[in-house]
Amino acid sequence: MPDGTTFTIDGREVSAKPGQTILQAAMDHDIYIPYLCYYPKMKPVGSCRTCMVEVEANGRKMTVASCTTPPMANSTVATNTTQVQDLRRDVIELLMTEHPHGCLTCHRIELCGPQDICQRHVTVTDRCTICPKNERCELKDTVRMVELDLRTPLNYHRRNLPIHADDPFYDRDYNLCIVCSRCVRVCEEVRFDTALTLTSRSGVALVGTSHGTSLLESGCEFCGACVDVCPTGALTEREYKWEKAVTEVATVCTNCPVGCQMVAEVNKYGKVVRFKGDLAGAANNGQACMAGKFGYDYTNHGSRLKRPFIREDGILYKASWDEALARIKQGFSGRSPGEVAVITSPRGSNEDQYVAAKFARLVLETPNIDSALNSNSALLTRLAERLGSGGATNPIWDLENSKSLLVVSGNPTEEQNVLAVPAKKAVRQGAKMVVIDSRETELTRYAAVWLRPKLGSEAILIAGMARVVLDEALEDKQYVGSQVDNVDALKQSLWEFDLAKISRDTGIEESQIRRAARLFAQSGPGAILLGSDGLSSTSSELLADAAVDLAAITGNIGRVSGGIFPLYRGANTLGALDVGATPGEDGLGISAMIGAMVSGDVKAALVMADGVSGYSPTLTGLPAALENLDFLVVSAVFDSEITASADVVLPAATFAEQSSTVTNVERRVQLLRIVSQPRHEERTGWETVASIATAMGSDAFDYPSSAEVFAEIVEKLPAYAGLSHDRLKTGGIQRPVESTTQAGTPILFSDSKRHVPAISLNYNQLKSSVSAKRVTFAPGRVLSQPERDVVVRKLAEMNTIDREQLIQIHADDAKAAGLDEGSLIQVKSEDGHVLARGRAVFESPQTGLVGLTTLFGELATRMYDLETPDWSPLMPGLGFSQVTLERAPAEQGAGAAAD
Amino acid sequence: MATPFEELQASASKRWTELTTGENAWIRVGGGTSGQAVGADRVFDAFTVAVESSGAKARVSMVSALGLMYLEPMVDVLMPNGTRIYYGNVKPDEVEDIVDRHVKNGRPLLDRAFAYSGGDGSTTGDLQPLESMPMVALQQRIATRNFGDTDPLDLLQYIANGGYAALNRALTEMTPEQIVEEVKAAGLRGRGGAAFPAGLKWSFLAPSTAPVKYVLCNCEEGDPGAFNDKGIIENDPHTLVEGLIINGYATRSTHGYIFIRQGHEIPINAARKAIEAAYEAGLLGKNILGTDFSFEMEVSLTGDSYVAGEETALMEAIEGKRSTPRFKPPFPAAAGLWQKPTNINNVKTLAYVPELVRNGSAWFKSIGTETTSGTAIVCLSGHIKYPGMYEVPMGMTIRDVLEKIGGGVSEGERIKVLQAGGPLNGLLGEDAFDTMIDFDAMSAAGASIGSGGIIVGNETTNVVDLLRTLIAFNQFESCGKCFPCRLGNTHMLEILDRMCQNKARSADLSLLQRVGTSMKAGSLCGHGQLGFNPIASALKYFGAEIDASIAGELELGGVFSDGTMILPSRTRP
Repeated sequence: MPDGTTFTIDGREVSAKPGQTILQAAMDHDIYIPYLCYYPKMKPVGSCRTCMVEVEANGRKMTVASCTTPPMANSTVATNTTQVQDLRRDVIELLMTEHPHGCLTCHRIELCGPQDICQRHVTVTDRCTICPKNERCELKDTVRMVELDLRTPLNYHRRNLPIHADDPFYDRDYNLCIVCSRCVRVCEEVRFDTALTLTSRSGVALVGTSHGTSLLESGCEFCGACVDVCPTGALTEREYKWEKAVTEVATVCTNCPVGCQMVAEVNKYGKVVRFKGDLAGAANNGQACMAGKFGYDYTNHGSRLKRPFIREDGILYKASWDEALARIKQGFSGRSPGEVAVITSPRGSNEDQYVAAKFARLVLETPNIDSALNSNSALLTRLAERLGSGGATNPIWDLENSKSLLVVSGNPTEEQNVLAVPAKKAVRQGAKMVVIDSRETELTRYAAVWLRPKLGSEAILIAGMARVVLDEALEDKQYVGSQVDNVDALKQSLWEFDLAKISRDTGIEESQIRRAARLFAQSGPGAILLGSDGLSSTSSELLADAAVDLAAITGNIGRVSGGIFPLYRGANTLGALDVGATPGEDGLGISAMIGAMVSGDVKAALVMADGVSGYSPTLTGLPAALENLDFLVVSAVFDSEITASADVVLPAATFAEQSSTVTNVERRVQLLRIVSQPRHEERTGWETVASIATAMGSDAFDYPSSAEVFAEIVEKLPAYAGLSHDRLKTGGIQRPVESTTQAGTPILFSDSKRHVPAISLNYNQLKSSVSAKRVTFAPGRVLSQPERDVVVRKLAEMNTIDREQLIQIHADDAKAAGLDEGSLIQVKSEDGHVLARGRAVFESPQTGLVGLTTLFGELATRMYDLETPDWSPLMPGLGFSQVTLERAPAEQGAGAAAD
Repeated sequence: MATPFEELQASASKRWTELTTGENAWIRVGGGTSGQAVGADRVFDAFTVAVESSGAKARVSMVSALGLMYLEPMVDVLMPNGTRIYYGNVKPDEVEDIVDRHVKNGRPLLDRAFAYSGGDGSTTGDLQPLESMPMVALQQRIATRNFGDTDPLDLLQYIANGGYAALNRALTEMTPEQIVEEVKAAGLRGRGGAAFPAGLKWSFLAPSTAPVKYVLCNCEEGDPGAFNDKGIIENDPHTLVEGLIINGYATRSTHGYIFIRQGHEIPINAARKAIEAAYEAGLLGKNILGTDFSFEMEVSLTGDSYVAGEETALMEAIEGKRSTPRFKPPFPAAAGLWQKPTNINNVKTLAYVPELVRNGSAWFKSIGTETTSGTAIVCLSGHIKYPGMYEVPMGMTIRDVLEKIGGGVSEGERIKVLQAGGPLNGLLGEDAFDTMIDFDAMSAAGASIGSGGIIVGNETTNVVDLLRTLIAFNQFESCGKCFPCRLGNTHMLEILDRMCQNKARSADLSLLQRVGTSMKAGSLCGHGQLGFNPIASALKYFGAEIDASIAGELELGGVFSDGTMILPSRTRP
């Protein structure tokens, strides 16, 4: 290696990469040095002192911590001299005096079977059986590796602290904590939440939340990163806390388009007992989120559908697959293409989507097919038209080095959680963030400029920023000159975009628009995170146009750490778009389909319902629409409001029971692995559809395995050329891929020969999408609001946030509704539901905009309390709704949001 | 045309002449923490009232403390005839008498006074000259040169006594490199305890061309028995400010921080006022004294943490983080405060710099010993007759300091044990009293000058109890970051607890040694690495007593055994 440092470890010559420490270099060369506080992908801290090694350089011998010390050229490192070993043992011996260690000292360790009842040779608090991490404990492994003599004359003392088991999802038992501070550091330097901290000092130093608060008020986002890094049983997932895994399988989370690579731990009964971010995952770098980390276990649930059912006289009866298929054939036969529809699962793999699309096209001969969460398809399709690809132009982790960020109408910290992690990191490293959103979200707390324009005027605002960029000559002239087509037309069209006019129509001051434009254009590589929450499809298209233009003139397309990241929902919505499981020009999209079901135009449907919830903001009309159908087939994991009116219910396999591919937001095609075998008659999406197709007489669906389905996709899709299941086993690859040897395309347009076409913008068209003057409720959510007090109460022994809600309204709206500042009001939806109740504050920036910021802790508690096994599709996004404001009835005090 | 500094000097000398000559007497009340603690402010108020009501022709000032703390509150009266008479332990109710008889009528209260200086001796009777008192005569005051003479908050008084001449010389006549060379040649070693050559340290920072560089002054001073850093800041803050500016110039730095432990309001206030005055006089800020050197300075406070005195922990604290040490490398000169190149020096080190630059390295080198030039500022406390803060040339023996300056133990007893240089350094027994005060000689004896504090214990001191007190301090103050220090101190304290109660186990001594060894080799910073020092040195000088406690035959009782000096327990959660 040209720029590495060459030195010797234990007689082996090794070479360290620049910036590596001795420990990292040793790990790269498979040399084991024990450590407890170090963790890959985190800054070293040097507190456990178990990685001490002896370094000899320039004639001097030193004992140093290898995790923090960079190697010196031509030095000699000894990891196992007697002195170093003794030191290491002495330090760990000290450590064991405050860590229960019956698991190491009990003479029955070798005798007891894993399920044996304790023979009580050890104090009750120290028994191996009371440690949730027994036999999967990093500390225990380390103690064994250093061959510690545990007959220590030092006094052992258990801390006897209460266990914190009153917050959602995970337990904290600080009796087992060794104060390595990994959890604190991962929370602070990787997640940027600082929900955890080191407390006190000296012998009583420990970790915890600052001021000892509940996690609900500490700013925790329940991502579980702290649990994943904990080397002992101090932090553990509550679910399957005591389960031991026998195998680990790397697979992909299918809750959102980030597609985090996860490691699934499986116990000997084939249950997935833990799900943790895979450090090797290119999309997530070891990170995960609440839904991913804790929402996987529906796959183990006993109430899963195990076999097909057929409805007779309103009652579902058990049936065999053959009977069910015969019923389906009968139900679909004789129907015209226009009256059938196929809804695919947002979690459905590329294979599922492809086979469903092929089935719709070949067998049902209908163009009516869409992915269930593809309701804002305009954003993706417009981006695909403009940039030749609906996905993000750049890799997710490119964002960490962006110098400016523009976030529009999206809430990535909740909807695409891990995508927001590098964005937050960039801001912490000095990047400037501009957020355009009516709602207060976690990212508005990171924003240098937060603009809350009138709803629907986001595209005008972005066009206004483009105008400022051109007016003030802030564009990337070299890039515009060489790689952007049609710039003159764009400039011409922007003449109409007078800032005063924009300011009037968006409700944002001119100076703010200028400031936002300057920050975005001048800070360096800038990325746009583009959502379309609350926007119509026309608005979304216009927004995409304006955003692409802004990115083009600032030179951010094809640039490292620049680019556009669409914020859509549905883990494999992009894959569905790629393989054609979205409506063509004449087909119905999901929203239109629901309408057509209600009107009776669509009479029969196949719904792949894994991850589809009738409570999703965009699918609230679906259950009622399905009731209207003559014939409905639902392939589902659970009985739900979707299966309620199905004529045939088919048992679906989950993400854990299939080997197939999904395509994430950054166009990375990743492989799902079989983590556990289906235990009953569950079939994966493509198997289900293929068997229906075959039953209906087609012979084009005879696939031996998903790999063959994928091979067919690869054959048909040039962007997937050269891919195969085998190739994806070593990691995801970003499409387009040209051949079996080409490594994919991390950044689109990085080839300077590719030109970006700018498109002229039409002011009146943009303005027409500004919503008419109605009162809109735009609820926000943040991790913590240090400026406001929070009361946490115990409800059934669990912590619950109890605080008055502050509803931000505009004085004009208050006047119209006859409300005073400070009075108790409620926000009522059009169908009469009370969405929120609280005290009115006149803080809304726009007339017609009603804001309310709740805490993520409230959401976490609610999700944790749900009895639905598959709760992540039920996570309420921050949806917009048309509402009326009224005085709250006197007897009801201000309480939590009532939704 | 006069340079800006000459203008300053002119007004300073005018002010000083006003104060010290003419028909008004000048009554100076020694202030500082040592004076205030025993009522100097009440004495000052009483003088103000008395002068006012009696119509005596006199000014009253609160000035810096002379350092003879056993005489506080100390007052001196400079009569227009040039004679200055010193009164010790002045009580407010004597003040009227002093004003009436001495100031108004020119008849000093000779039975109340303890010394005089200046004048023709006609009014001083049998009083001894101040300079002949051993605790003054044996001192060589460099950093403490203005103590007892000037008002610490008056910049002009400082300038009138030679202040800022060094800065002026440095900025106008010397290059930064010359200053660094000068400091190197003077052999100035860091006074924070580690005794690292200051000039060498400065030369690490000087070459860096980073646009922002910091020089920090460390006045965390958490050692029990050490008060010289705070003493310098509260009694003569400008000598530190000047030293730090010169440090900044020599290393081409842009910002200076004086870092003081929270809660010490008098030094904090003094430092802030001095910085403010220096800004007003153009000695800080843009284009200092009309040159093109610009330098900013401010005061930053620690929380209540001993480890914040460790240089990297101090930087964490300034950055607003938990004050825990960082690992090195990177060293501060490469990436220190806010990851910018940084130098950090102790208050005493910097306080020498103005005089060093003004008088030259040869002069400084001539003071002290071959390996340790300059002086030691020792703080005597404990069982000693004349506690106080004394600046003595390096090379004086401990015995001389204790007996000639400190006057030996009160009530004619024998000194049994010294705790020198803070709780991370050793105990000394009588065998070591002839050791020279000098970094190398002290460390050979198993102790250290450290921060300069010397706590004296007489024969009633139970060494094991004293050890327990020291280890309890170290344990309480461990930051808890690295395992050996967090846990090692805790275990050492538990073992010492047993030893104090004659409940030790036979293996406890070897256990102590084993824990101490792993702390020394394994800890991240000096707090853990040095944590075994008290015990190691106690084994050297008081082995018999320790053996007795292991054997369960320790004579219980003694000064430290009542637990009054034991900090609240923070052993384990």
